[in-house]
Amino acid sequence: MHFSIKARWLPILLLPLVLFPLAAKAETPAPADKVFVLSASRESALRLVWTVAPGAYLYRDSLKASLDGRDLALAPPPGETKDDPNFGKVEVYHRAVALTVPDLPPSGVLDVTYQGCAESGICYPPVRSLVDLTSLVVTQRPRASLLADVADPPAPAPSTPQGSVDREADTAMSSGSLAVISAFVGFGLLLAFTPCVFPMIPILSGILVGAGQRSIRRGFSLSATYVLAMASAYGLAGFVAGWSGANLQVLLQTPLVLGLSAAIFVALALAMFGLFELALPSFIATRIAALPVRGGSLGGAALIGFGSALVIGPCVTPPLAAAMLYAIDTGDAVRGGTALFALGLGMGLPLVLAGTFGARFLPKAGPWLDGFRRLFGLIFLGVAVMLVARLLPPPAGLALWGAWGVIVATFLGAFDRLDSASPWNARLSKAIGLSAAFYGAVLIVGAAGGSGDPLRPLAFVTGREAEQAVTLRMTQPADFDRAFAAEATAGKPVLILFTADWCTVCKSNEKVLAEAGLRDRLARTPRIFVDITAQTAEAEKLMARFRVIGPPALFLLDTSGREIPGSRLIGAINAADLTTRLAT
Amino acid sequence: MQRRTFLAGAGTALAAAIGMGSLPALAAEVSLDDLLHDPAAPEGGNPKGDLTIVSFSDYNCPFCKKAEPDLARAVREDGNIRLVYKDWPILSQASVYGARMALAAHYQGAYERAHHALMSISGRAVSQEDMEKALAAAGIDIPRLNTDLETRKKEITELLARNMDQADALGLQGTPTYLIGPLLASTLDYDGFREAIAEARSRQAGDAQ
Repeated sequence: MHFSIKARWLPILLLPLVLFPLAAKAETPAPADKVFVLSASRESALRLVWTVAPGAYLYRDSLKASLDGRDLALAPPPGETKDDPNFGKVEVYHRAVALTVPDLPPSGVLDVTYQGCAESGICYPPVRSLVDLTSLVVTQRPRASLLADVADPPAPAPSTPQGSVDREADTAMSSGSLAVISAFVGFGLLLAFTPCVFPMIPILSGILVGAGQRSIRRGFSLSATYVLAMASAYGLAGFVAGWSGANLQVLLQTPLVLGLSAAIFVALALAMFGLFELALPSFIATRIAALPVRGGSLGGAALIGFGSALVIGPCVTPPLAAAMLYAIDTGDAVRGGTALFALGLGMGLPLVLAGTFGARFLPKAGPWLDGFRRLFGLIFLGVAVMLVARLLPPPAGLALWGAWGVIVATFLGAFDRLDSASPWNARLSKAIGLSAAFYGAVLIVGAAGGSGDPLRPLAFVTGREAEQAVTLRMTQPADFDRAFAAEATAGKPVLILFTADWCTVCKSNEKVLAEAGLRDRLARTPRIFVDITAQTAEAEKLMARFRVIGPPALFLLDTSGREIPGSRLIGAINAADLTTRLAT
Repeated sequence: MQRRTFLAGAGTALAAAIGMGSLPALAAEVSLDDLLHDPAAPEGGNPKGDLTIVSFSDYNCPFCKKAEPDLARAVREDGNIRLVYKDWPILSQASVYGARMALAAHYQGAYERAHHALMSISGRAVSQEDMEKALAAAGIDIPRLNTDLETRKKEITELLARNMDQADALGLQGTPTYLIGPLLASTLDYDGFREAIAEARSRQAGDAQ
């Protein structure tokens, strides 16, 4: 079983918690993912094979699979019938069961769940595995709490008031998506000031002129229809992207795709800075001019709006691609569609204003527009850094962020000359720019010092002593032994920490270790991190050897390699407790 | 009987800590306190018992249902055991519903009655309707239960979340799991519980010396 460690982990410090298993085999029950092992192979159809450890069995009716949220009808072979007063009549599989799943697409992720018990008297929670249909790799999913997505109990007696908890949950959820939606509307607004959207103004005015004598209301309804249709076209694209995204997510995390996306964003940023002009290709521009503008009708406005989204698509492709990436990343058709619809709305808002009140209400192009585009360019550069930083070692990523800070500073005018006549906004901009430059420089210095933490880039300065404490990360028993032998020669206990990337509590624990009070205490204590992110057999050997059930766990080993009694901490740690624990 | 054999080994701090909660070094541990003395957790047996059994169970777990009468009998006949119920609904969505109803019954002082009623429905796919029927048949005030389900929803959810966190922290693998003093067991029969209880007491005594 994988450990699902929740952010709201209680401060459970089950210290010397050595429980003695009562089973005959003198061991705690094997975890479910060791008892039931799923593998996949494919010739013409996908074949799923479960091997079941001796003494355990799978329930036939528990085998379930879904693709993109659709449940698939499986045809598991008949099982052995088990009839027990406590169980009722059930069909189960011992040792192994195999079934084929026909008619699957060549790629995608199959979501498989299954459940069973061991005859020794324990029932396991459902195990969830993902089968990649291309690579046939099976990955375990951490157990999800049933509590989290529990359906509400059936409607209570009518006299009781509706629970307020539900409503809180609802608003919390909608405020999350509201933030996303408003971000996309804002993003769209920014896009509206790229030259790409300008061709839409003549199109729209064509419709409005066609309407002849018009009131503000008529102008509003026509332009709103036009914009809504345009946004719908984007929404549709987002819907498709999100829908297909479930299959593309893995691909999107590859260095190649991340690198390419970053390059696109850099190019786009350069375009925003005016290095080259993003403009509508002329053949499209002429086609727009030739659009049959049948003025006046709402239907016509909708049709043309939908069409213009497609026409200007190529011009706004890079930012649109960014939005699509987001939609794909959500892997959720509705969210992807909503996000891109919001983007289209944002792009169209100035058009609605123009259509309703006439173009005079639109801000005129001018220096402020350049400012806007620069801002946009800086944001794109930031996105590029964010993408690339994932591929780099943390200090290199930090250095990139530092460089970005300096670039932002330069564009804000940090290095421009001010004189006594300079207006307040130039001064403010320079001040902000200088701060950004300074922060950027600090980040670069921090990176040179080996730091990867943007909030504590200079930790290595204060941590002179801590530097003496060796921090090693490893996953192999052999490496561990070598590292331990090297550290133990110092004659001091060695702090062993089991950690994993998916373990959020481990991250907060590492922050606790870095707290000022503890850092000094731990300054001379060498640490060895055992990284069990990939649950390899090697990693499990180390876990078994130190009887670690899952991360986070930390304890001290004396120089002969024996665990110092009472030094073990499991779960979230706090500084005070660790101090007393280490004092023992 | 295989299940009744015990792992030999030195019982250490936990034995004393769980059994008596008096070991100075552990007196300050919030965690053991959470595990053993969650004020919201329903209890049975003798509140002043010298041994504590913590039972992690699920209302769709056939093994829990099988062990339940034996555990109840062992606790009753011993007379000196405190039993802490931890509803740990992990097997199905209906399990969560069952756990909520049992905990809601606690507010009318009928947790154990509800617990035993739910545990006595056989099978592993008990529907919500069947659970409700069994509770009504056991004399639980259903309108009151529904009111408590709604008005105490937050407390019940929080207690279930605490139970789950504790089970995760302990690395428990499935249901049932019984912590009998320092011993960890899954399904036991009556004799198994008796032996485990005796073993747990002897370890506590050994540690106390």
